[in-house]
Order: sequence, then structure tokens, then C-alpha cells
Amino acid sequence: MSVLSIDKLSKNYRSIKALDNVSFTVPSQTVFGILGPNGSGKTTLLGIIMDILKASSGSYNWNGQQSTNEVRKKIGTLLETPNFYHYMNAEDNLLIAARIKGRGEGDIEKVLRIVNLYERRKSKFSTYSLGMKQRLAIASTLLGDPDILVFDEPTNGLDPAGIAEIRELIKQLNRQGKTIIMASHILDEVEKVCTHVAIIQKGVMKTYGSVQDVLHPSGVQASKVQIEIAAADTDKLRTILQGMPGVESVTAAEQELLILCDESVSAEQVNKYCFEQGVILNKLQVKRKSLETRFLEITGKQSDR
Amino acid sequence: MTDLLKIEWIKLRKYIVFKLMAIFFAVGVVALNYIVYTVNKNIVNNVPGAGLVSFSPYDFKNTWQSTSYATGFILILPSLLLMLLFTNEYTYKTHRQNIIDGLSRRQFISVKIAMAFIFALVSTVLVFFTALGFGFASGTTFSFHGVVFVAYFFLKALSYNMVAVLFSVLIRRTGFATGVFFIYTGAENIISQLLNVLCIKIKREDGTDLGNIGDYLPMNASDSLLAFPDNPIKNLSKAIMPTDYTWIAFSLAILYLVVFYLWSRWKFLKADL
Repeated sequence: MSVLSIDKLSKNYRSIKALDNVSFTVPSQTVFGILGPNGSGKTTLLGIIMDILKASSGSYNWNGQQSTNEVRKKIGTLLETPNFYHYMNAEDNLLIAARIKGRGEGDIEKVLRIVNLYERRKSKFSTYSLGMKQRLAIASTLLGDPDILVFDEPTNGLDPAGIAEIRELIKQLNRQGKTIIMASHILDEVEKVCTHVAIIQKGVMKTYGSVQDVLHPSGVQASKVQIEIAAADTDKLRTILQGMPGVESVTAAEQELLILCDESVSAEQVNKYCFEQGVILNKLQVKRKSLETRFLEITGKQSDR
Repeated sequence: MTDLLKIEWIKLRKYIVFKLMAIFFAVGVVALNYIVYTVNKNIVNNVPGAGLVSFSPYDFKNTWQSTSYATGFILILPSLLLMLLFTNEYTYKTHRQNIIDGLSRRQFISVKIAMAFIFALVSTVLVFFTALGFGFASGTTFSFHGVVFVAYFFLKALSYNMVAVLFSVLIRRTGFATGVFFIYTGAENIISQLLNVLCIKIKREDGTDLGNIGDYLPMNASDSLLAFPDNPIKNLSKAIMPTDYTWIAFSLAILYLVVFYLWSRWKFLKADL
């Protein structure tokens, strides 16, 4: 069962194609990451499915139903920036959101406690720091305990502890059976939090699927292992590694070497081999093929701004 | 709609500018009329020979018209407030958030238009009671003679407020929108005056009475329905002035209101927010 299904959505701003024929579906109870560089169309996409932007063509539906404001009432959304009345305090701002949703008025205290803003509930929004504003926006999405949450850059402006808290909150919400759609340009975030990912660049959907599938597509490349390795004598290390069975390439990276080898090669074997050849390693790190590597493979290495 | 208005009330009640403007306007209405009242009573009537032009604007036969006319000069205050409230939504991007949270675009613009209506209604009620108060203060017998001018005042207030809504939807940025509002109002007045002078000239030179064409512009149509009551001095100039076709100005004022309404609605429903 899909929560959201998007069909050939396009959005043009005069000659610029902000979104070009984007289609995908978000399965129920997943954490679905929409990953792309700045300006790739993530917020435009979310804006359209929230009816604040009009699509040039294409369609979308929520839970198989055409989108209406009644559907939106049951979705908690944080889009782009925390949008609140500056002259009002947190409580009153949340009261407005709850009244619009027609539910969640009784949740105000609870959600303020979840994001640690309860003590500051009477302070005006304009006195909040960026991180507090962001947390208030997240609190607002939780009103009425919605089954679907949409977060656009949810950790924007938060300090490291705040980032960890919000990521944990997202995972926890997902464990409660909620579906979370999350746009981010931070690879690490998507990798740590999401179960599914769609990669979007210049308005074009590059790939989407489970994080597992996108990260490890079937094929030769997937079966390679990258290892970062260093020793005092780099030249000698390079010579012996080139002779090691299973090692396909050795490249220099500053004071260390990066080897690409067969999946069968383990870190233990490399360590043992080097030691037997008389080289003592001072660094040995297996690099999982990360989303970052995969992302760069998919999108190319140039920034798209 | 009641639920939507209650939400608007939450936005209003904590807005200090609202409180200040509301007090300023309410006091302003009374003060402005009091000035006209006392100037007429204590100065004009004490000028030697005043008997010739003897006239009391706040007698019950004039008070509805005089109060409506005089208050028209500060009617820009409630429309400015309305504009601030609306453009604030754009500044804070809360217009987006309200819709994300579950208002439909139609609901959002409808409640803003309802606010324009309510502001006009409240201003009118204020004018009604001010006129009543000064009528009694002038010591004349109660009468509803000329109370239609209070209805014209409502039309004018609604026109100003709907222009404020339209400019907010079209321009979005607070400073720019209020600036354009002032410039537009001023420019339309100047053009209107020029057109009216032209009409006087045409009437004098070849006798053709076109009416006051300057009164047919969007904001001047409802403005022209309210004038200072007829008095001896005004009557002297009547012969050279073109005829005031009230029914044309009235019909146009209604027509412009419909245009402001449909235009703001259409723009808000179809635009990227």
C-alpha cells in the first residue's frame, strides 16, 4: 500500500524546469528520503504535494485519494522554514495550527515537551533561536498524532545534540508505524535515518528504491570493497599491496593509500599479509560503499547550484 | 466560517499594532468630528455676517452625512491595518503554513475578505453612533433624515478594504504594498480632480454636462457618494458644477467591488504561494 503516489509531475518556472516528469511512490510505514543537492527541486516537489505550488503537469494522490485540504489536516508538515507568527508565543502559534487541523489542541503541551520547548512556551516566536524555531516547527507537525509526516530539511539549524534527538525522534515515529517523507541534502542523514531514498537532481529523478537497493545495486561495482590503508613507508606499502592477490587497484590519497579489492578480501587478511611482508600498518579502515559514493556516481561530481 | 474567524481572532488579539490602530481609529473618529463640530459652532457661527451662511453640520438633518463624510478622511487606517495583517502572512510565510496545515486556498482568501467586510461594518457602526451622539449634542430633534449616507460610508469602507486585500494579494510585501496603496490613492485623486475640472470647463464652454467623470474611477466612485452636506456657500457654486449622477457612481462602486473581489480570489486560488 502506498501512502503517496506521484505521477509525471513537472513544474516550470518560465524556461527553467524545476521538476521534470518525476514519478515515484512512497510505501506505507517507511522513512522515505528525498535526496538531492541544493536547488534540485526537493522543496518544489513537497510544495506541490502540499498545494502551495501549482504543478505545470502531472498528478499525485495521498492514500489513493485525490488531495484535498481535509487530507492535509491529517499530515504533519514542515516545509522549508518554520513559519509562525513572530509576535505570538509558541502556545498560541500551535493553537492556530491545531484549530486549522481541527484536532490536536490537547496535544500542545505534549508536543512542546517532546521538543524541549515547554519551558519557553510563553516566549514570543521572534525571541527564539534558529534551532528553537526548527523544534517548534517539528512540534507543530506532531499535533493530532498524524500517520504521515513530511519534513523538509528537519535538522536545519540544530546543534549536534538537537540533530541526534530529531533523528532519533524520526526513527521512533517510524517504529510507531508512521510514514515519514523527508527531504535532505545531507547524505549522512538520509543514510542514518531512511529506509527508502529517491535521488533527485536538476528536477530529474535519478533513482529511487530502498536504501539497500540504491546503495548496492546488483552488478560488478557492488561487489568491490574499498580499504583505506597507511604505513610509515608508503612506497613499500604500495609495492607489496600491488602484489597481493585480490587487490585490483591501489591509488594514493595524501599520506595514505586507497585500495579497491575483491569482496573476498577482508581487513584481517590485508593486515596479516602486510605484517608478513614486513610492513606495520598505522591505519586500516574498510569503507562500506556509502551513499555518498553512490550519490556521486549517480549525480556526477559537480555541484549543481 | 465561524471557526475560521475565530482563528483570525487569535492572530489579531496578540497583535499590538491592531490594538493601537483600533484605539487610534476609534478615538480619531470622535476627535475628527468633534473638531468639525466645535470649529463650526464656535468659530464659523461667530464670524460677523455668519447669519447669511448659517449652517449646522451636526443637526439631525445633517449629522449622518457630515459624520460619514468627515470620517472618510481617516478610513485609510482600517484598510492599512487589514493590509498589514494580510501581508504579514506573506512575510512570515504563514499563508503557506495555514494551507499546509489544512485550510483550503478558498477558505484562506474567503476569511480575509470576510475580515474586510467586518472591518467595514465595525467602522460603520462607529460612525453611526458618533453621528447619533453629535446629533443629540447639537440639541436638535432625532431624525433619520440622510441616514443613507451611513450606508454609503459602508460602501466606501468596503471599497477601501477590498483594495487593501487586492493589493496584498498582488504585491505581498508589506512596505511595497502599503507604499503602492498610498501612491495609488493619491494619484487617483489627482487624476479625478483633473477630470472633474475638465468637466467644469466643458460645461462652461459649450454647455455639455458630462457629470463628474473623475468620480467614476475605482476608489473615487464610492468616495464621491459622500460629500459635505449642502450649505449656503456650496450652493453658490452649484450652478457652474456638472451634475452629480449618484446612481452612476453608486453602480460603478458596486461593480468595482465585484471586480476587487473576483480578482483577489482568482489570483490567490491559482498562484504559487
